[in-house]
Amino acid sequence: MPELKFAATLRALHDGGVEFILVGGLAAAVNGAPVNTFDIDVVHSRDAANVARILPVLEALDAVFRIQPERRLKPNATHLASAGHQNLITRHGPLDLLGTIGRDLGYQELIPHSVELDIADGLRIRVLDLETLIAIKEQLGGEKDRAALPILRRTLQEKKKAR
Amino acid sequence: MADGDEASLTDYSPDGVDLTLIRWMLSLTPAERLEFLEERVNEIISIRELNART
Repeated sequence: MPELKFAATLRALHDGGVEFILVGGLAAAVNGAPVNTFDIDVVHSRDAANVARILPVLEALDAVFRIQPERRLKPNATHLASAGHQNLITRHGPLDLLGTIGRDLGYQELIPHSVELDIADGLRIRVLDLETLIAIKEQLGGEKDRAALPILRRTLQEKKKAR
Repeated sequence: MADGDEASLTDYSPDGVDLTLIRWMLSLTPAERLEFLEERVNEIISIRELNART
């Protein structure tokens, strides 16, 4: 397996002018929750101009669908314009491009629930806030989501205490 | 260290979450958190690969 490069992947999206919000486990970790994750989850804007900006970035990252990497199936504009999840593998590791999360929440709905954070030298991106990460996991209610909730809730409590 | 001191050296929530670990993570900047996680995850992958070959 190649070395995972979270920052390099996010920098490629950022430098390509892609509108996206970091969500999932990596967003939780960046928000301060002590959790491990092996993939990057982002919700992207599905408007045509943004989809057109994503495609060359994915090409540069050598992104193909993870389900059958040997077939080297590449995501196209139709995939990226959908509300579905594109589970990809890139030269820097797994990357999930999500049209929506939770109950049909897309980029526009999530923008008010995101914060801009500096996550590497010269790299400032939108990250879903901890409150919304928790709310979505509570809504989904799956075993995996419920398992993560105690750490996320306690992290939020500690953050509020520290303010 | 006396045995009686140990209770005060940890801090778990009633649902078992290590609050000292959360506070340590919160003491880092977002960039430092990302860098730490990236390094740790790659170390885990290296260990897995090393053991897969033996």
